[in-house]
Amino acid sequence: MAVVQTNGRRQFAIVAVFRGDNEEVAFFSETITKKISVGRQKKHRRLQYGQWKPRHNCLTILTRPQGSRIEILNEGGYRSDGRKQYELRDIVIDLSSRGSADGSASVKHGLTEVVVEVFGPREAKVRSQTMHDKALINVEVSILPFSTGERRKRSRGDKRILELASTIKSTFEPVVQTSLYPRSEIDVFVHVLQQDGGLLHSSINATTLALISAGIPLADFVCAMTGGVHSSSPMLDLTTLEENDIPHITVAVLPRTKKVTLVTMETRLHVDRFGEIFQLACDAGQVLHTEMRKAIEGRTKKLVNSMGLGPRLTFPGVEFDDRDVRMEE
Amino acid sequence: MATVPISKSEKSYIQSSLLLAAPLRADGRALHDYRTVSLETGVAPLSNGSAKVNIGKSPEEGGGGTEILAATKLEVESIESGAGVEGGRIACTVTCSPAAYPHLSPNALDDLQYDYTTVLHQTLSHQSLHPSNLGILPKKKAWLLNLDLVILSDSGNTYDALFMAARAALWDTKVPVTKPVQYAARNSSSTSRLPSDAMDVSQDEAQQSGFDTRRIPSATDFELPDYWDEGEVLAGRDKWPVCITLNIHPPTYFLDATSMEEAAVSLRLLLSFSFPSKGHATMQSMRLLGPGELQLAQIQQFISVCISRYPSAFLVLSHHCFQEGEKYAQRLHSALESKLRDEEVRRNQRLRFALR
Repeated sequence: MAVVQTNGRRQFAIVAVFRGDNEEVAFFSETITKKISVGRQKKHRRLQYGQWKPRHNCLTILTRPQGSRIEILNEGGYRSDGRKQYELRDIVIDLSSRGSADGSASVKHGLTEVVVEVFGPREAKVRSQTMHDKALINVEVSILPFSTGERRKRSRGDKRILELASTIKSTFEPVVQTSLYPRSEIDVFVHVLQQDGGLLHSSINATTLALISAGIPLADFVCAMTGGVHSSSPMLDLTTLEENDIPHITVAVLPRTKKVTLVTMETRLHVDRFGEIFQLACDAGQVLHTEMRKAIEGRTKKLVNSMGLGPRLTFPGVEFDDRDVRMEE
Repeated sequence: MATVPISKSEKSYIQSSLLLAAPLRADGRALHDYRTVSLETGVAPLSNGSAKVNIGKSPEEGGGGTEILAATKLEVESIESGAGVEGGRIACTVTCSPAAYPHLSPNALDDLQYDYTTVLHQTLSHQSLHPSNLGILPKKKAWLLNLDLVILSDSGNTYDALFMAARAALWDTKVPVTKPVQYAARNSSSTSRLPSDAMDVSQDEAQQSGFDTRRIPSATDFELPDYWDEGEVLAGRDKWPVCITLNIHPPTYFLDATSMEEAAVSLRLLLSFSFPSKGHATMQSMRLLGPGELQLAQIQQFISVCISRYPSAFLVLSHHCFQEGEKYAQRLHSALESKLRDEEVRRNQRLRFALR
């Protein structure tokens, strides 16, 4: 079936061909020789939301943003946001303290922004949950209603939020040295300020940094990264547009020991492709590790320097030295 | 309402130093001084308008203070079949981050955010403040303006900060420009003139196009035309109120309490004023918050005194409070206004720079 619709001023036409549930839309210029763009989309969506208008001598399609009219990877090897296949988005790490938290970190990964605040180890609010031989890690995630394109208020009991929280918790349980703090609780509050893909991996990276800045002993850094595959070409650090379209996995690695604490996938992926993406995501974890280490080192240096700036009080007969606590030999 | 637990001796220490001939506060401020307020707009790119407000951030470390993030988001609502109302509506929601109140249980947190939501929603969604450009199609479609505020950290004076953030976010809000459309069937005369080749369309055919977008009262749908900006600002944005909290410790009161001071005084009077660019200042809401039976008795006394018009110390105090409240609100308003205008200039410059 073909629908021909004409526009007034410029002589263009949309020829829409319906095939089953999908619709192929091709645009023809006056001469009907050049095919400008071909996209696939659900039929009802196209009919309901699609509007078109002439602009700068070519057609612009106004569709809902979740439409899959984007090209995941073009012929030049560039993705929809101009990155190469294995290129990561830029990461901004801020470790300055917030409120009364013991440790906090804000990670901006591209347009995804996550703030994590850590309290503890401290006495548990709910005493019944404490364990006699190790600390309890309590993760709470809050996704701000304006963090996505379409407003959605998720309550605390939302299944998606609980799942995200339990994933973060199980990722960190083998890494945090909980046995050092029996009968206590470590609270991790994750706030998602903005989402553009890679929510889980940004949250995990931010949690690592917040735990470190709170001074909680970890066996190693935990560095997480998302990898996906478009037909046969693997790519790293997917945006929302890409996440909606292609199968992807999230991997969290311990860069020093090269152990893996999390592998998760919600989509289907061919077995042959898995190994390749998994390896790539692990390698990306190592790259992230250098970034995160740099941020931690910078912050620590700044703190050490400012410690030296304070005036030293000396009293006769009392010895002071640089160490806050004298360890008994 | 106290959000931090303090001891009796701490409480009496704070109270007695407030009542001194030269009142003392822990951070060295005078009774009617504010802490440093910082404000930034346009912090959430996926929203229609947003702002971040911080009261009392420590200058060295960049931490501390009451921090509020506010953002507005517009949604299209159907009036016939949905929850929409003619002319659009506003819904405010306040969320408290658990990190801001680390000692509160989840249920207590829910109660607290409900309290904040009620005050904000009742004040801001009042008919007298309603912006005129939230309608899309009469009797069919209208905008729902969702105002979400998040308390990221609390170190006192949350209500003032919430109102400031709300005002800034609403000030920053851009409403997309809409244009009603109607799908008209092509009439027979134009079909007869239609050439056999559908690709070849003449100029005058444009007038008869199926996508006729002239303003027609029976329009059933709308489109978003290309516009030079994200949209137009909310109408009457100068009317959005500011709030001043008077922390009353009879016979004195002070402004911008820290959490400790908030816990030490038992009575708070919230006064929110709107200062339209034309006309007089109006009071948009008033709340007297505080625990204890004694305070209730005083309020009753206050009310009866008001009715019988007997001068009393309390009436003088409250009358004074209103006047003073308006004065401080006026000052806060003008400071906020100039900052918001600065922000607008800054963001437009950045935009122009980016376009270049």
